[in-house]
Amino acid sequence: MTDAPAPAPTPARTSPRARLLAPRTAVTGTPRTPRLTRQRRQRLAADAGLLVMAAAFVVPLLWLVFASLDAKAKLRVSPPSSPTLDNFSAVWTDEITFTPMLNSFLICGSGTLMTMVCAALAAYPLSRYRSRYARPYLLGVLFTTCLPITAVMVPVYSLFVQINLIDTMYGTAFFLATSQLPFAIWLMKNFMDGVPVVLEEAAWTDGANWFQALVRVIVPLMGPGITVVTIYSFIMMWGNFFVPFMLLLDPEKLPASVSIYTFFGNYGVVAYGELAAFSILYSTPVLLLYILISRRLGGGFTLGGGVKG
Amino acid sequence: MSVTKAPAAPREPRPDEPPVRQGRPYESARRYARWLPVAPGTVLLLLFLIGPIGYCVYLAFTDLQLTGQANASFVGLDNFTRAFGDEDFVNAVVLTLVFTLVSSIIGQNTLGLTLAALMQRASKTVRTVTGAIVICAWVVPEIVAGFLLYTFFHRRGTLNEVLDFLHLPDQNWLFTLPILAVSFANIWRGTAFSMLVYSAALSEIPDEVTESAQIDGANAWQRLIHVTLPMIRRSIGTNLMLNTLQTLSVFGLIWAMTRGGPGNRSETLPVFMYDQAFNKALIGYGTAVALLLLVVGGLFSVVYLRLMREEV
Amino acid sequence: MRPTAPLALALSAVLTAGVLTGCSLGPDDDPNTVEIAFPKDIDNNVTVRDDYLAYVAKQFEKANPGKKVKLVPIQAPQNDYYTKIQIMMRSPNTAPDLVYEDTFLLQSDIESGYLQPLDKYLDKWDDWSKFEDTAKQAGESEDGKTYGVPDGTDTRGLWFNKKIFMKAGLPTDWAPKTWDDVLEAARAVKKNVPDVTPFNIFTGKAAGEAAAMQGFEMLLYGTQDQLYDEKSKKWVVGSEGFRDSLEFVDTVFKEKLGPHVSDALSPDIQTQVMTDHLPKEKLAIALDGSWINQQWIKTGGAPWPEWSETMGVAPMPTQNGQEPGKTSMSGGWAWSIPKKSGNHDLAWKMIETLQQPENAREWCIRGSQIAVREDVARDRKYLNAIPRTKFFTDLVDVTHYRPALPLYPRVSEAITVAMEKVTTGDATPAQGARSYDKQVRSITDGAVIKR
Repeated sequence: MTDAPAPAPTPARTSPRARLLAPRTAVTGTPRTPRLTRQRRQRLAADAGLLVMAAAFVVPLLWLVFASLDAKAKLRVSPPSSPTLDNFSAVWTDEITFTPMLNSFLICGSGTLMTMVCAALAAYPLSRYRSRYARPYLLGVLFTTCLPITAVMVPVYSLFVQINLIDTMYGTAFFLATSQLPFAIWLMKNFMDGVPVVLEEAAWTDGANWFQALVRVIVPLMGPGITVVTIYSFIMMWGNFFVPFMLLLDPEKLPASVSIYTFFGNYGVVAYGELAAFSILYSTPVLLLYILISRRLGGGFTLGGGVKG
Repeated sequence: MSVTKAPAAPREPRPDEPPVRQGRPYESARRYARWLPVAPGTVLLLLFLIGPIGYCVYLAFTDLQLTGQANASFVGLDNFTRAFGDEDFVNAVVLTLVFTLVSSIIGQNTLGLTLAALMQRASKTVRTVTGAIVICAWVVPEIVAGFLLYTFFHRRGTLNEVLDFLHLPDQNWLFTLPILAVSFANIWRGTAFSMLVYSAALSEIPDEVTESAQIDGANAWQRLIHVTLPMIRRSIGTNLMLNTLQTLSVFGLIWAMTRGGPGNRSETLPVFMYDQAFNKALIGYGTAVALLLLVVGGLFSVVYLRLMREEV
Repeated sequence: MRPTAPLALALSAVLTAGVLTGCSLGPDDDPNTVEIAFPKDIDNNVTVRDDYLAYVAKQFEKANPGKKVKLVPIQAPQNDYYTKIQIMMRSPNTAPDLVYEDTFLLQSDIESGYLQPLDKYLDKWDDWSKFEDTAKQAGESEDGKTYGVPDGTDTRGLWFNKKIFMKAGLPTDWAPKTWDDVLEAARAVKKNVPDVTPFNIFTGKAAGEAAAMQGFEMLLYGTQDQLYDEKSKKWVVGSEGFRDSLEFVDTVFKEKLGPHVSDALSPDIQTQVMTDHLPKEKLAIALDGSWINQQWIKTGGAPWPEWSETMGVAPMPTQNGQEPGKTSMSGGWAWSIPKKSGNHDLAWKMIETLQQPENAREWCIRGSQIAVREDVARDRKYLNAIPRTKFFTDLVDVTHYRPALPLYPRVSEAITVAMEKVTTGDATPAQGARSYDKQVRSITDGAVIKR
């Protein structure tokens, strides 16, 4: 595949939408056509560049899809000769799929909820009030975002033994929530700073208290921001391997991130097809969640400010 | 389609701190009460982050072992002197630096910005497809990403097939240059985050600003250097910091791909720490290494805080 | 304006309470359930141990109405299994009632106080007298108490594929006299049968104890040197035998007589050799354990009815053929009761059930173990169950045991690290030996003897 940014022979279709998107020439008074062609050239170059990158990114994912449908999956990407769902039915059992997935949902769902509620609450005063402690506090929070959580896992394990939280799902959820919290607080505060106080003041004049202002005015306005934080937190927890690996011991409590590691051994067992199938099942929830939320926000994956027209 | 848009007026790069509300008499109790929402988060942080860090400091000065020892005792700085005389530890430090530099600072950051910038100009279809693919790579859980990239780099895997097709020599990086393979894996996995951050930042730049630059005859490069980058300075700082520190603590990806091997060619500090604490049963020593890792993270953090001082 | 402080307070109170009251939903310490932790193979088709335990558990539940057995299979590469059970035994919340321990870890775990002495039970148990002395010693610590009941032992030797040997022009009654004979045979296979792996020796950190014992110690104990000096009670460093053993490993991988290095270092190599490389006839010679044919019988993970015609066995020779001409290593696994489990008596009952003569025999057959009970060892059914049992049992005469000391697991780890360095070519045998010496000095705080 070449990435020559030369204008392609096919003229770009001018859909009604594209016309809508044409620059507001009225403002500048320059003739329309040269601007358009330059825009179009730029667009084609950008498209070509993106497609090259997309191709590079998609290869491992293609392996995942192909291998999951291939009864004789290998290490190399190759379309299955006779697509079959056997791999999926092989892993479609309580032990392999349902129990670990349910565990993941319980742990990550409650963890994310805790993170979001705590972060939104904490961000509000930090963003809205002055205090001589706010700055050190935020610096402290910002500081903890930088600490490699991996590093504290050994002492966390010992601590959990001491306070009887070892091998409990809610203990793991608490820890996961905490590990995402500094980052969430920091981002939430930043997003909240972006919401003009003016809008809130309108709510105050209607007699709302801070909580109502937060829930009814700020949170809706921070939609994209909250999405980033929520998705990020949930995905980080959903995919986290080390924390549950250290804190949960009972095979029946393991979330999918750990069970996938143990069930398939260290990719040694040559059940590549089943591995791919289970990986897809395990990745689907976060993908769906992502799609759902980005839909609700009005499409587009560029989170800040939705789609630029 | 409700498109939330940033206010179109060119804003100050940083919003003024909102004023304390006027025209309300407030007593000091109320002033403190309004800080209460910070409590739940703070409690969690104290219990599950600060607590373990304190415990980490304590354990780092003991010779606690997972097995083969009746009682642990204080050993002062032994663990640390041992680390600095341990060639494997030095090797882990070097690899960690390489991993962080290649995959976070260079890879994810630049690639993320490039993607975001191109997306601003690209057609909707291409933008959506590319975004979906890159985000897919990010959403895929760590261990799965490890498996995928393992099969990709494996000597019987896809990358060699592509190289064969292009008549280029084969590679076996998982064995010869595993640190490079895991770095690329980390780029593959983490770029989406930078892309999202930068997309958000770029979309906050009002159209008028770029348009007026365009009318003044600035070309794309000049616009990027003189208009865009300065306006997203904040995002660059935040993103760089978060990425670097995420990368410092990557464990699962490397564990799934190479387990730090072969030998210790991809044993970054987190893997080294785990290996010492559990495979070699030296919990005290492993914790001392963990503490060093925490300190490194802390130092990074302080540097960034200084860079971003004006923000907070 | 409604004051909102109560809300925030309530929320933080709820959170804190939730954390502090931590009513454990951990493993239910039901006095009527015995929880058994054991290693599950990372290949899901291999369920030899799972099946056997399920088989005994059924008997146990029938014989003890109202009591239940809960199997806790821990699926991980072997080294991770050891770590996992140690972690479990640290907390009363998570300690299983019964744990399956590799005997080399017993001393170390006894030292850590993880295990319960079994003497009060053994004193009242007639069958204990039927166990061989060497087996009894495996679970005995320096304080004279016993902490583990072994259920079998093993030896190690060379397995070779007669069909491949014929193609390579080698004798099917192969009996190497020196290390060089072994290497020569591998070279002949490499030359004449290019599409198979000539020789497998376990190496590196991922294979763990398999590399240290089946690989390295099978070499070292065939030299004039050993790991530990019984006379001075010190660990040996700087020995020629150690260097020579690493040299052998180096030769195998430098000359490409072994598997591809990245395969050799992968955590599943042990399973692969048993269930894939040998039964699929992709490997000519394997330096491996007496038990690997457990996978080829009908209860195994890779049934292979022709194995007894295809596979030949030969003792591992000493380095230069010095007396006694052959060498072997023996280990085995044992059942132990974690101190922090609240169910010692019931766990003991389970051990007794596992060690009823018929069940003990059943395990020796299914697991292809060498019997440690004299009554089982004489049992016709056991002796006739699997060809080659006699060959491996006879190796007990020349076998060696690993130093039964708390430090051994860490020394073993240092061996695998040195092996891995040499295997990847990151170090010469001499450098590998030096790095081992340095490690051992640090592990033992300098209590070493230089050869």
